[in-house]
Amino acid sequence: MRRLPAVVLVLVLAACAPVPSGAPPIGGGSAVPPRPADVVELTAPPSAPAVAPASCDPTASLRPTGPLPAPGQMPAGSTMAKIQAHGRLIVGVDQNSYLMGFRNPFSGELEGFDVDMAREVARAIFGDPGAIQFKVLTSEERIPALEERRVDIVVRTMTVNCERWQKVNFSTVYYQAGQRVLVPSNSDVTGIESLGGRRVCVTKGSSSLANVAAAPSRPVPVSVPNWTDCLVMLQQGQVDAISTDDTILAGLAAQDPYTKVVGPQFTAEPYGMAFPKADEDFVRFVNALLERLRADGTWASIHRRWLGAPPAPPVAVYRD
Amino acid sequence: MLVEAQRNRGAVRRVTGLARSTPGRLSLLALLLIVLSLLVGALTAGAVQRRSDALEALADHSEPLAFAAQEVYRAMADADATASSAFLSGGVESADLRRRYEADVAKAAAALSVATSEIIRSPELTTALSTLSGQLPVYTGLVETARAHNRQGNPVGAAYLREASTLMRDQLLPAARELYRVENGDVVRDLGGAGSLPWLEFLLGVLALAVLVFAQRYLTRRTNRVFNPGLVVATALTAISLLWVLAASLVVVYSASASRNEATLVDLLARARIATLTARGDETLTLVARGSGAAYEASYVEVDKELGDLLVRSRGLTPKVEEALEHHEQWQQAHRRVREADDSGDYTTAVAVALGRDPAGAATAFDELDSDLVDAIGAARAELTGAIGRARAGLGGAVPGVVVLALLAAAASTFGLWQRLKEYR
Repeated sequence: MRRLPAVVLVLVLAACAPVPSGAPPIGGGSAVPPRPADVVELTAPPSAPAVAPASCDPTASLRPTGPLPAPGQMPAGSTMAKIQAHGRLIVGVDQNSYLMGFRNPFSGELEGFDVDMAREVARAIFGDPGAIQFKVLTSEERIPALEERRVDIVVRTMTVNCERWQKVNFSTVYYQAGQRVLVPSNSDVTGIESLGGRRVCVTKGSSSLANVAAAPSRPVPVSVPNWTDCLVMLQQGQVDAISTDDTILAGLAAQDPYTKVVGPQFTAEPYGMAFPKADEDFVRFVNALLERLRADGTWASIHRRWLGAPPAPPVAVYRD
Repeated sequence: MLVEAQRNRGAVRRVTGLARSTPGRLSLLALLLIVLSLLVGALTAGAVQRRSDALEALADHSEPLAFAAQEVYRAMADADATASSAFLSGGVESADLRRRYEADVAKAAAALSVATSEIIRSPELTTALSTLSGQLPVYTGLVETARAHNRQGNPVGAAYLREASTLMRDQLLPAARELYRVENGDVVRDLGGAGSLPWLEFLLGVLALAVLVFAQRYLTRRTNRVFNPGLVVATALTAISLLWVLAASLVVVYSASASRNEATLVDLLARARIATLTARGDETLTLVARGSGAAYEASYVEVDKELGDLLVRSRGLTPKVEEALEHHEQWQQAHRRVREADDSGDYTTAVAVALGRDPAGAATAFDELDSDLVDAIGAARAELTGAIGRARAGLGGAVPGVVVLALLAAAASTFGLWQRLKEYR
């Protein structure tokens, strides 16, 4: 009973204890930066390419068999005759590489160097550069689209190399590009060699990705579906540099005056049009067309329209 | 200790002694009846109050919040679809599309502020709500960056739009869906709370009546008087209270079960509208992706099927969706034409059918389906709030009524027994 006052005191004190608020704390205060769809940071290098045949010269293509047939009169039984019967040429292009293949935001139309080259192919088959259906492909989708025959031809800043020759056929080289580096204009990066440990944006399935992953300075490749996604990441400070062919970089730099292209070309990236492996007659046809475009100044005028004063066109090499 | 035990024993003896004498028993009976009347009154009033609280929560919080959550989702999905359409129609979007996008963002923000004001009621929504209010400005920022680039003819604008759309689809819309799911669950819960059968009220009332009847039979035996006016009045008052509470509760139960149908309909229609907007977004994004939009088309097919199911299910509950079903069919036909044109390489026709003002086009059918659903949701929601209002009216005055009747019954019992006790003085 003598403990009673103590017990009462404890109970009174417990009753007087402050009641905490039930309101939840302010959550989610940390910023979550938005990212493009399907961004992947590559911690391990992509799987090593299959060993190419020792004799491979990737720039050597199939020799034309003769002069071009007149438009609308493709030889019976040829791939071109099938395309003609179909009524239009289905071309895999890019809509995100400014100046090479891009959508003009004002008209909504696809335009660029690659697109004009593709229209020349349509003109040679149908006599009409408009007899064409574009399918927009990401870098990664190019070879599967050809293998599954969803497109007749791919004209999309595609580098010819021995690994790809095993799955598709290439035309002769229609443009000679080389890989360089794009950085913000205040960056101290001078080229691929000073990007060790830094984040470099490339597209999935591109030869640029393999080149960046193989660079001796060991940059960290970050892959996205489209080249413009790389520019978004650079502008949002999520990557330190973009590295790919100088043509694509020039198109990106033209959209952002606060970037600069630095360093020398550290790889040669010869572009070819790609075809399904079986369509050799079509390859020979397009090579004959390219001979004509180089000779009659069409190549030079398309180059002038998109990429400035034209150099001498790339020389065709054949493997027969 | 010994003294204390003796004292306790003395107290017990006094009480049992009191209980053996008739006046003592009458006093105890009076005490019992007072306590019982007051206790039953208080418990019944509490039960009625709980029912009334559930209705109030439903009318003032859950239902408006579920509607707000639905508005958040709808406005955000529509903003995304509109931004894609604006991009598809060329660099400088039409004033109409721009206005629609701006209205959507304003609506989403307003509905979100309503939803956020109730965060204390549902702490589990903290993450979803902070994602919604935190990422909405980021989303609009990306859309404006895309516009600025589009105006300068830079293809990177499309990449910003894709990033915005990814943010919308991967973070904002799932958070909005979670918000709607929880708020709609609250509606169902509150409807259940208001619509439960009044067993507790019934049993309490019957207990009070039974004790009163027992007390009167006891008095009849003891005093040879057939009626005790005080106890008769108390019994009548208790019976009135019981009948009132039962009648009012049954009105509420009936209205709540009607509201449950309306709430299901509102939910079905709201989901149909969200599916409509999602399908429209998929339709336009398939064209924006130009050849690489197979994933969007697959999503369209899935959402369109869900939309058809939801519309057919709503038809069982209201005839108002007949027109919506017709317009849905028109839209499906227009969508087939869009796909045929796009798949055969006629992109210009595909865009024209998808966006143009042609009366047989996809845009017209979509707009009409959307406005059908708006009308149907409005009507269903008016029915729902009407039913809740009727239920609340039925409970009006029941709580004070029960309390007053219980006090009067206690007073009447005391008076009745006091008259008998006086005879023993």
